[in-house]
Amino acid sequence: MIKSQKRMGLIFFPAYDWAISPTHPEREERLLYTQDQLREEGIFDIDGLVEFKPDIATEEDVMRTHFCFPDVAAVTTESHMISAGGALKAARIVLDGQVDRSFALVRPPGHHAMKSVHGNRGFCNINNEAIMIDYIRDRYGMKKIAIVDTDCHHGDGTQDIYWNDPDILYISIHQDGRTLYPGSGHVNELGGPNAVGRTINIPLPPETSDEGILFAIDEMVLPILKDFKPELIVNSAGQDNHYTDPITNMNFSAQGYAALNDKLNPHIAVLEGGYSIQGALPYVNLGIILAMAGVDYSCVKEPDYRPGALRQDARITDYIKKLKDVVLGAYFEPPAYQGLPPYGEFMTRKKNIYYDTDGIRETQMESILRCKECSGLFSLETFSTVYSLSLGVEIPIGACPACRKEGGKLIASAKKSGKYSTIQVIDRVKKEYYRV
Amino acid sequence: MGKSDLYLGLDVGGTHTDAVLVGEKGIVSHYKAVTDHDNLLLSVRRAIEEITSGVDHKKIKRVNLSTTLSTNAIVENRLENVCVIISAGPGIDPDNFKIGKSFHAIEGSIDHRGAEIAGIDDDAVAKIAGDAARKKIKTFAAVTKFSTRNPDHEDAVAEILGTSADFITLGHKLSGQLGFPRRIVTAYFNSAVWRLYNSFADAIESGLGEMGIQGEVNILKADGGTMPFSLSREVPVESILSGPAASVMGIVALCDITRDSVVLDIGGTTTDIAIFAGGIPLIEKDGISLQEYPTLVRALKSRSIGVGGDSAVRASGKEVTVGPDRKGPALAAGGSQLALIDAMNYRNIVSFMDTRASAEGISVLAKKSGLAPAKLADTAIALAVKRIKYEVDAMLDEIRNRPVYTIHEMLEGREIRPEKVYVMGGPAEAFRGLLADAFGVEVVVPQNYDVANAVGAALAKTTIDIELFADTGRGTMLIPNIGVKKSIQHGYALADAERDARAYLAEHLNGLGVTARADETEIIESSSFNMVEGFYSSGRDIRVKCQIKPGVMARLA
Ligand SMILES: [Zn+2]
Ligand SMILES: [Zn+2]
Repeated sequence: MIKSQKRMGLIFFPAYDWAISPTHPEREERLLYTQDQLREEGIFDIDGLVEFKPDIATEEDVMRTHFCFPDVAAVTTESHMISAGGALKAARIVLDGQVDRSFALVRPPGHHAMKSVHGNRGFCNINNEAIMIDYIRDRYGMKKIAIVDTDCHHGDGTQDIYWNDPDILYISIHQDGRTLYPGSGHVNELGGPNAVGRTINIPLPPETSDEGILFAIDEMVLPILKDFKPELIVNSAGQDNHYTDPITNMNFSAQGYAALNDKLNPHIAVLEGGYSIQGALPYVNLGIILAMAGVDYSCVKEPDYRPGALRQDARITDYIKKLKDVVLGAYFEPPAYQGLPPYGEFMTRKKNIYYDTDGIRETQMESILRCKECSGLFSLETFSTVYSLSLGVEIPIGACPACRKEGGKLIASAKKSGKYSTIQVIDRVKKEYYRV
Repeated sequence: MGKSDLYLGLDVGGTHTDAVLVGEKGIVSHYKAVTDHDNLLLSVRRAIEEITSGVDHKKIKRVNLSTTLSTNAIVENRLENVCVIISAGPGIDPDNFKIGKSFHAIEGSIDHRGAEIAGIDDDAVAKIAGDAARKKIKTFAAVTKFSTRNPDHEDAVAEILGTSADFITLGHKLSGQLGFPRRIVTAYFNSAVWRLYNSFADAIESGLGEMGIQGEVNILKADGGTMPFSLSREVPVESILSGPAASVMGIVALCDITRDSVVLDIGGTTTDIAIFAGGIPLIEKDGISLQEYPTLVRALKSRSIGVGGDSAVRASGKEVTVGPDRKGPALAAGGSQLALIDAMNYRNIVSFMDTRASAEGISVLAKKSGLAPAKLADTAIALAVKRIKYEVDAMLDEIRNRPVYTIHEMLEGREIRPEKVYVMGGPAEAFRGLLADAFGVEVVVPQNYDVANAVGAALAKTTIDIELFADTGRGTMLIPNIGVKKSIQHGYALADAERDARAYLAEHLNGLGVTARADETEIIESSSFNMVEGFYSSGRDIRVKCQIKPGVMARLA
């Protein structure tokens, strides 16, 4: 019998009775062949590897992270609550010491879901990793956490949620936004004024192979993590960098994914995208699980894997080598924001968000109170093609007395004004999440 | 059951051999003797002769046998040399699954949908066959990854081996279930006990012939069902660990279990726990483990814990422990170690053999530990009951937390809440009141529980399970373990698959001389996925699991 070096928990929830639509890539059998492969390989008989049932996330779990308009029930289905609950279970079993590592193989995915939610974008409604991380900070008192997002698409939702948070390091490795949805994730997107350099983007050219992605891990991600010293590392484990993925253009392999996890050694991985359900997912997931558990994965290969055919162009190699200096500079010596308002005043940012899956357009006006003492009171005015003007207010973790007081005033006056259809409050100090 | 028909049930267990004759009105006679381990055949023959003496042998319509023959051979490593040939393709390094002295991993690969990725290496098989012949190895096992989705490579190995093999186990014939490492182990064990089992079977058949017993003969399985003797000759591994299941099925026959229940078999050394949902015993999802080896052999869900009447009672300071070991019989039975049953004797819960010896032992340990004798005895008894309750709860928890894969099951899953506890075994009566307090439900101690195992053997019905796999894109339908393989049209749908599963199962059973009513076949899982390639449908992936669940021919309650 095989024994794993690390105790590993697997939360497998394929949601065989749920799809976005009948021919949508995010459909019922997405994890069917993965499950077949894992069963046939005898994964669940490995000594030290245990399968767990997901929990179901509560409304509170979602409201701790998101502003949902009009409310949580309107923008989620049971499948979203179970998928997020799978991530929560993955966190609990690690933090309670039942296992050393965990992997939530759940669907639907979440990393395109932003702070404010009006519907589905990029196959995502609510952000599984963010819901999990905010739960961990609330319940386990952990402070510094790093998310390494290895999905082929830029995790614009996760980036948005932690844009102003200096304690969450978000690193995304993805296919260059100039060539792929959602179009963002450029190297100069570095986080808000109080969290500059805590958002790091590593956009790679199309047709980057194992060599390029592993170079990014070794030369960019690992040195940054070493400096940041997170208490916990989370991998947003998208599998759409694979050379057979139908909706992207990268050349990553199962061996590459396994090696990536070996190097990164995340405590928790949460599945994101990956739509080559027959040619990639069974082998990629097997490789990731074995690598996380500390079991030999050297024989895990796709049936059509030909390393020679996937060798990356020398120009790509050169490009990534040059990118290294830019990325390390972004973390270690981030440029200062120019023209900021003085402390005690609000800084605003206007954003237009498009929900591709649901065809919704949202307009947001974000404000953050410039504060010397804390990361600053945050608020967000929003309206969309499906919902009228509403407001979200967040009193952040560790908010100073002034910001807390200011938050109270803001909520009271917003209520009095009568101009918002919905007002949602995230009070991370009192751990209260509610609609006014 | 005809008016004057008799069923003979025989359980050749580790310690005792029990036999019963059951007629329309219940148990006609029973027999108990110590099992002769070195000559199981003799134990069987003697039991049959004794219990059928004075009975018209023509009336015996069934002889059902539960035997430890295969289990013991494996546990004691009295196994024939088997040449194991596997092909794995990409995945976990197959060297991890090495078993036996002659293990060969060859080229060849099939994927999860049953598509051939790389052909089997014929030359390598021929070479291995030659090698085996030189070493005088005559039994083989051939297992390829995903052979339940496409058995061609296993069949090809069998063909190449041809007559050089006295016997070959093909992995896909064992079960439709996925699990390559389990398939290897199960195939290996099957071949390794094949010759031994078949010579035993020959002897039993000729013995019954000599006695003029012409009824059908069945073998008990670990899932509480039987299989025809003729079939068991091909899959002797299916006869392992059938003893505990026989006892559980005996309780089903002796009591009318219709609800969620717990069944406890409390012996001298251990307590075996089984769980019933709505009157049906739960089956282990993956198959039973033997000697730390997980297999594909279906079994009742059970848990064995180190609490029994002879569990050693000790005290270190004021810390009292019970079990998990047994050091011979209790003091009351002339042993030398204070045991749980002695504590029960002392508290007048039972009156078992030499109660004075029990009292003496309690007072000695009490003095040593500084506890009052009554306190010591009560603590020991409470600990034992607490442990049983704890393990039952853990088992129920495990069932409650078992992973599910659809939103429907996640939200609608029914929870098992035991309404009765059935207890059998030597100390059963002693535990009745204590367990009633601990579980807060009615506790039943059936009469005749001491022959429950043999009664279960006599009355257990045939069980079988199959998995149908159809892929309309590839145009194939397969039921591996009963050898069905056919071409299907593009329009083949879930309803067709369910109908086929039932029909082929019934046909298979009829071929074995077993008649199963249509309502006894049960679809337990059924799914159909539209496969999409690009934006177009490329066919359906259909899976149907069908079974005849464990049950008894008649109830004696
Ligand atoms: Zn993606
Ligand atoms: Zn502040």
